[in-house]
Order: sequence, then C-alpha cells, then structure tokens
Amino acid sequence: MSFVVPKESYSGKVYEVSIGTEKVANFGGESMLPFLSFDGAVKNRPLIAYEIQDIPPDDWPDTVKKVYEGVSSNPVDWAKHCQDKLGAKAIALRLLGTHPDRLNTSPEDAAKTVKDVLAAVSVPLIILGSNNAEKDAMVLPAAAEAAKDKNCIIGKAQEANYKTIVAAAMANNHKLIAMSDLDINLSKQLNILITQMGFDKERLVTDPMCSALGYGLDYTYSVMERIRLAALTQNDTTMQQPLLGDVGMYVYKTKETQAPEADLPLWGSLEERAVAWEMLTASAFMIAGAEFLIMRHPRAVEALEKFIDELM
Amino acid sequence: MLIIGEKLSIIAKRVREAMMKKDKGPIQEIALRQMKEGSHIIDANIGPAEDHGEELMQWMVTTIQEVVPLPICLDTTNASAIEAGLKVHNNQWGRPLINSTSNDPERFPIMEIAVKYNAQLIGLTVGRGGLPADAEERSAIAVEIMGRAMEYGLPLEDLYLDPLVLQIATSQDHALKVVQTIKMFQELNDPPMKTVVGLSNISNGCPKHLRPILNCYYFALLAYEGLTAAIVDAHEIAPVAKTIDVIMGNTLYAHSYLEM
Amino acid sequence: MALSGVEIFKMLPKTNCKKCGHPTCLAFAMKLAQRQISIDACPDVSESAKQILGEASAPPIRPVTFGAGDKAVKMGEETVLFRHDKKFLNPAAFALEIMDTATDSEINSKVEAVATSEIDRVGQKLRIDAILVENASKDAAKFESVVKAIAAKAPEIPLILSTTDPNAAEAAVKAVADKKPILYGANESNAEAMANVAKTHKVALGVYAKGLDALAAFTEKIKGLGVSDMVMDSGARTAKEIIEDNTLIRRAATKKTFKPLGYPVINFIQRDNTMLETLLAALGITKYSSIIVISSVERWKNLALFALRQNIYTDPQVPMQVEQKIYKLGEPTPESPLLITTNFSLTYFIVLGEAENSKVPCRLAVMDTEGLSVLTSWAAGKFTASKIAQFIKDSGVENEISHRELIIPGYVALLSGSIEEKLPGWKVTVGPREANGLPVFLKARA
Repeated sequence: MSFVVPKESYSGKVYEVSIGTEKVANFGGESMLPFLSFDGAVKNRPLIAYEIQDIPPDDWPDTVKKVYEGVSSNPVDWAKHCQDKLGAKAIALRLLGTHPDRLNTSPEDAAKTVKDVLAAVSVPLIILGSNNAEKDAMVLPAAAEAAKDKNCIIGKAQEANYKTIVAAAMANNHKLIAMSDLDINLSKQLNILITQMGFDKERLVTDPMCSALGYGLDYTYSVMERIRLAALTQNDTTMQQPLLGDVGMYVYKTKETQAPEADLPLWGSLEERAVAWEMLTASAFMIAGAEFLIMRHPRAVEALEKFIDELM
Repeated sequence: MLIIGEKLSIIAKRVREAMMKKDKGPIQEIALRQMKEGSHIIDANIGPAEDHGEELMQWMVTTIQEVVPLPICLDTTNASAIEAGLKVHNNQWGRPLINSTSNDPERFPIMEIAVKYNAQLIGLTVGRGGLPADAEERSAIAVEIMGRAMEYGLPLEDLYLDPLVLQIATSQDHALKVVQTIKMFQELNDPPMKTVVGLSNISNGCPKHLRPILNCYYFALLAYEGLTAAIVDAHEIAPVAKTIDVIMGNTLYAHSYLEM
Repeated sequence: MALSGVEIFKMLPKTNCKKCGHPTCLAFAMKLAQRQISIDACPDVSESAKQILGEASAPPIRPVTFGAGDKAVKMGEETVLFRHDKKFLNPAAFALEIMDTATDSEINSKVEAVATSEIDRVGQKLRIDAILVENASKDAAKFESVVKAIAAKAPEIPLILSTTDPNAAEAAVKAVADKKPILYGANESNAEAMANVAKTHKVALGVYAKGLDALAAFTEKIKGLGVSDMVMDSGARTAKEIIEDNTLIRRAATKKTFKPLGYPVINFIQRDNTMLETLLAALGITKYSSIIVISSVERWKNLALFALRQNIYTDPQVPMQVEQKIYKLGEPTPESPLLITTNFSLTYFIVLGEAENSKVPCRLAVMDTEGLSVLTSWAAGKFTASKIAQFIKDSGVENEISHRELIIPGYVALLSGSIEEKLPGWKVTVGPREANGLPVFLKARA
C-alpha cells in the first residue's frame, strides 16, 4: 500500500484585511486551515496587537501591570513604548475609562485620546470600547470620527448596539469587529445583519468571543475551528472574515495569573505561569483559526512570534 | 403516523394558568381543538410537577377525557404523578402513553408502572450526563432500554424510541443525525421498533416565522425514514402529514385530500 | 469500512447467551460498532465472521499501551480530525527526556520532578506521564544501568527507552521488560535487530523514518517482522513539520483508513527556550500527538499544559461541569445577595463574568445538574424546587448569611412559590432571564 498525500482543496478562502495608513499590517487571506501549507497558500502571518488602555491598568494583575510601570499612566506614552521599545506591529487601545462603572469619561474625551495616540504612533490602531453595549454605541462613533480615514479597526459591534457602530465605521472608512456570545450561529447571524446594512463583508473581523485556558477555552477553540471549516468547505461568505482572539482581558482575570507561588507551591512561578497562560491561550486559538490576536505581556508576544516563525 | 397533540403543556402561559387555577375551560377547549385538527393522542405535560403532581395529572386526564374520546400521553418526570394519572385514565378511548423513561436510573421506575397499567411507553435515548454524539450512540442506548424493557416484561411493541430532537439553532449537526437514527432504530428489532419525536424542539429558540417552516420540513424528512409517531402541533402539521400519506401511497389521492 | 451495529449483529450467533457479558447479541454488536469491546469476547462467533468483524471493528489508529499498572498510558484509537465531531479519546502523554550521560543527582532530581508532578484539576489527576531515557552515551552498559536506576527509583513511571543500538536496547529492555516500556529507535539500518528485541520482550517499538512515504513503508516492514504495536516518528522536529506531518498522518489514518500510518505518533520538541518548548508541546496537544517528549518539567509549565490538554480532550457532548458549591464573588458580607444557577460550565462562566462585572459582591450557589443549562435541567427534573431547597439547606450557606433571600434565574420563575414552600422563612426573588441582565439587576438592589 503506497502513501498518497491526503490533500484537501477548499472552495472558499478567508478575506485578507489590511489596516493602518503609514505603516500597514495585513492578516487573513489564506485558503486552508492554519499553517497547512500543502493545502493552500499561506498569505500572511497572524497579527499580534499590543493592548493598552485610556486609563491606568489598575485592574490588571501585577504580573502584567508592572511591565508597563512608568508608561501606563498615559495612553500616548504607553502606545509609544509598545511601538518603539517592544516593536508592536499594531496597537489595540481599549477605551475602558468610558465605562459607566469606571471613570465614565465622555465620547469627546475618548475621541481626544484616540487623536493623541494616532498622532504619536505610526503602526495601525485598533479602537475598542469598554464593552458596555450602550456606552460603546456613543463612544465608538466619536472615536471612529476622530480617526477618520486612518484605516483603523473599530470594535466591538454586538447584537445590542451594532447599528450605530457599523454606520460610524462605514462613514469613517474603518474596519470593524463583530462580536457575539460564543455561538457559531449567532456569529453568522450578526455578520449577516451587519452586511445587510451595506457594510462590506471584506472589511469585517469576527470575534466569536474569547475565553481563557482552563476556563472555557474548549468552546472558543471549537467555535473557531467550525467557523474556519464553514469558510473553507462551505464557501460561506459570512464566515470568511478573519478571526480575532481578544486574549489578554480573559487570561488576566484567571486565578492562575494572580495567585502567588507561596500560596500554591504546586503551581510554580507566578511570573512564568502568567506568561505561559496568555501565550498558550493565544497559541491554541491561532491553531484553531485566529489570524489576529490582542495580547498584553511582551514575553508572551515574543514567544508566540518565535513560534509563528517556526510554523511559517 | 400517530399524531400526539402537544398543545397542553405547562410551558404555555395560558395552559399553566389554567392548571394552577384548575380552570377546565381552556384545557378542554384546546383538547377538543387538537382532536379536530387530527390528533390521535393528547399530550398532558405538567413539567417535573414536584408539588401535588398526582392530583394535577389526575385532574388533567379526567378533564381532557371528559370532552375528548382519546387516550392521553402522560408527560412528566414525576413517576407517582404518572401512576396517579393512569389510575383514572379511561382505557376505553385507547391505551395511554407515558412520556418517558430513559437510560437514567432515576427514570427506571416508570417502566414498572407502564407494565402494571398496560401502558405504552416512550424511551428517550439519553443516559446520565452528556448527549449521545450520533445515531450509533443513540442506538446503543436504545438497545439498553430495550433490554431493560424485556427484563421488566414490557413488550417491545409497546416501546416508542425517542432519539431526542435538539434545537437546530444550537445543535445543527444533530438534526441530520436524528433523521439517521430513526432509520437505525427500526432495524433494532423485527418487527421494527416504533419511533417518536418531540418535533417542535427542532425550532425552539428560532424566530417565530421560521418555526412552522422548520417543523414541517423536518417532519417530512423524518416521516420518509419511517417515523411512527410525533408530538406536534396538529394544526401546523396536518397538511404535511396528509400530503406525505398521499405521496407515500398510504392514502388514495383525490383533489380534496387536504380537506379529508 | 466501519460497520453499523445492526450490520454486525447480523453476523453474530443471535443466541443471546450473555457469555460476552452483555444481555443480548444486539447490545454486544452496538458495543462492537463503537469499538468499545473486542470481537474476541464472543466465544461462538464463526471464524469467517470474526475475520470480517476483526478488520471492521479495528480502530483506524491502533490502540497501543505502555507502562504497567494504574499509570499505564493508553494511546491511539482516535477516529476524527476535529474535537467537535467526536471526543478525542486518549490524551497526549508528556515524557521527560533524561540523558544517560547526566550525573546521578541530575537524574535523581528529574525523576523526582516527574514522580511529584501530579496535580488535581477540576476533579482529574494530571501528571507528567512518562520518562524517556536517551542513550546519549552510546554505551550499552551505561544505558542499562541508568534505566535500571530510574526504574528502581520510580517503579510506577512508564518508560521510553531511546537508543539505536540493538545491544543497548536488548540489555535495557530486558532489565525492565515487566514494566512494558516503549523501545524507541528502530530505523532502516537496525530494523531486524530492533524488531527482534521488541518481539522477544513483547514491548511496543518506536519507529523512525524521515518523511511519510518512508514511514509508511517502514511500519509495513516492521509489521512484517512480527511487531504490531508501534509508535511513529516521521522525523518532524520544527513546528511546521509537526503540524503538517501529524495532520497528514491523522487524515490518512482516519479518512482514508490507511493502515500503514494507523499508529500513535511520538513528537520530539525539546528546546533550550522553555517558553518555545511549551508552545511546541501545546501544538502537540492540539494537533494529534500521542507522546510529546520535553526537556524540562517546571511546575508552571506542567500546569498550563495540563489545563490545555484537559480542555482539548474534554468531550464536547458532555457539558463541562463545575463543582457544586457556594462561590464567593468579590468579598461578600453576610448581607450580600445569594444567587443560584446550574453547574453547566458555560452557564457558570457567563453568570460569574456578569456578576463580577456588576462589582456587587455576592454569593453564587452552583448546583449539580449534571452540566445541564437552566431550562434543560428544569425540564429534566434536575433543577426543581425540592432539589434546590435541599441543596441550599445542605450547603450550609444559612450560617454565612444574615438574610434569607434567594435569587433564581428568570427562566425558572415558576419555581419561586414552590421553593418558598420548601424553604420556610426564605424569600425567593426572580432574577433576569439572561445573565447579561445581572449587572443592572444587582446594582439596582445595591
């Protein structure tokens, strides 16, 4: 019995998304499952963006907060640090201060922060709301306008607030993240609703909702695999958007990134554990299909980049 | 096809309120309507009914059978409520059906009750924890339930296997697996095992305007594979059931077949 | 091709003799179809049927076990490429590499690290599964003595003995044959001698050939030499080679039933950079590795890899369950609200996230409903008023709180009266139907 290479050829492919104006970053565009170069062309590396906030990261655990000591008190310094010192290829600015339970800053405040950060860096910017559906519907349009024509990604549009956010992304020439609640059918439905508003399906990024290693990762992992298979085998144009893994905010809520070794000696070094937790969460989603990741710890990013080098 | 009318369920607000107030009016009205629409059995779903389940089931059975000469499908996880209902069931209108036993030890006692009262029984092919992944796993559970039926002395002809229809909105891959299971279940015995589904669960959680479409087309696929019985909205399914009977040669065609 | 239970049943004696331990031939056939039992359990089946059924019921990837006793490692038997299609069966094993050139104290500390690696996580005991002893010295006597020393120090840990020298292999395997080690190192130039050692001592053989063409031909050759338990190494060492070879192997075995590649895979991923090695191990877990050979076992790394392996090898049909207990969110006082939900992990994670989101400290009572969601478990009679009342009483939460108010999910609003009847002195409040209504709900009360 001789071996015949069991290749797959797919009818569909993933859209390629390009962001930024001065420096441009691309992701997606492939026509096969992640890294299987015998089945199709590998178009781009997965893109990793560094996450920063408009307010100091008081809610981040020490393991990752201390890395940004001295720069994180203001988003401009923080963004420059990521770009210039860490070599960030993209920066994700989370407007957490706008959340009603945080500083409840205004859409105008948010717009100013966006303008300041854009003026300070040349890498592409991802502009994220505070994940309060109601407030995001006010903040993101203002932020999108402040970044007009800068080819950013705006996010996240959810079922509860997508209309105004979609309109703002469209009017100001941005890409858009659509997020649904960890359910492939809801994800497809939201993408349909957004494209029915006239938003170009090739400018969309799908966030099927992230989760952390040990805390529901298996759900996100399988939803991503299923979305990728639908894109490739069923040529489903509503599932061919690149996938986002918004890893940092889920990972750094876990006990594993916070519990000191002294309390749990069996868990080993806290610093290494936290980095590993973020890095493995991100790597699993990348293997499942995520082309775009938002992360926090430079060591996790650095290790993942090395890993991608080996995979390409 | 045996049509089991699903409308008397505690999930429906109007029915629940009537059950709470012991108001016979709405119950009897719905039961009568279901008979006219083509139901052969009336499902009485009282939920887990921990409190006063016996009394409630007896009230339901007698209330329905006061106006409708049909057997009842006694639908609850509460075994003593089932037994109470069977005690007052008017067998003159046909043999009662119990919904249901399964491969979960908590549900075994129901089998004994079915034998004692000469009732027919639905066997839901699920066990403890976890859903069966495919037709093979459902059949394996079915075989265990069949084995237990034989031990208890329940004739296999009185057992209806239910593969458990899941919501298409959340478990799309199971939709086709259930169709395949209907075919496989029949092969488990000679004469073929009887099968039943709770049809409308396929469209549970879907927008209202899609529900009849999903229910009717799914019904047609299942009927083609030989489904014996279905718990359905008789009104919704009647034209489909009649049309399938014509297509499959079970009834003679006439221009007015839908009105018959 | 796989046969259905009914097709298998037709070939059985149909005597329902129960000698196989199943009540009927049909029940036995169902187990055979699901590959949960061997046809050998039926004493009366005809030889011709046995041959057909033996072939048909053989899993596409051969089951291979190494090690003895409770800690033996099962591999193979996988049938699918994606975990959402069907549960991945036998989790990838981690094997720590130990060089036979290392000093005694280095060896001791590594063996110690493996022996004490066990961690309890969500009810499962997880550990570094095995030790691979590498014959780096190229000295047969040295190899044998190190293998013996390790086996003596940690008699329960399954071993992989890695050498390409048949003499070293013979000496070492013979010394620990009763522990059923894997002998790794058969290649084109030593095939006959290595197969002979494996055959003599009845151990599985680790085979190496560079590339899948050569590997497929080589497993056939080894099989021809009388060894049927193998683990395969295609020579893949980089991440790209590993994901590609492992995927092609799994595809060929499961989709094409290509028997020459139907064996478990061993991947060597040792790196000086521990973080990178951790990522390579993660790749092995997600992409079809049966044994992952690593160079270090730091505790933080073990924990992260165990968690990933547990996630990937969870049965997607069996909802992940959370332990039944009262969880504290934030720092609740005796006055803080008490909420209840089911132990379906996704329900739990979402409720937990939303409740934390509200920043209102509270207690979350998570009840064992066999992992079913709120409505499903209610309908199945597992989330009922009396069971909820019993759980609240048994949980001891009454000693922790000063009030007697329970907030139930909006979907089971109809239970409120009945719970109050069964929990005298308690007030039941109906919460929102969806968890995303919790922040508003909790804050309005705070």
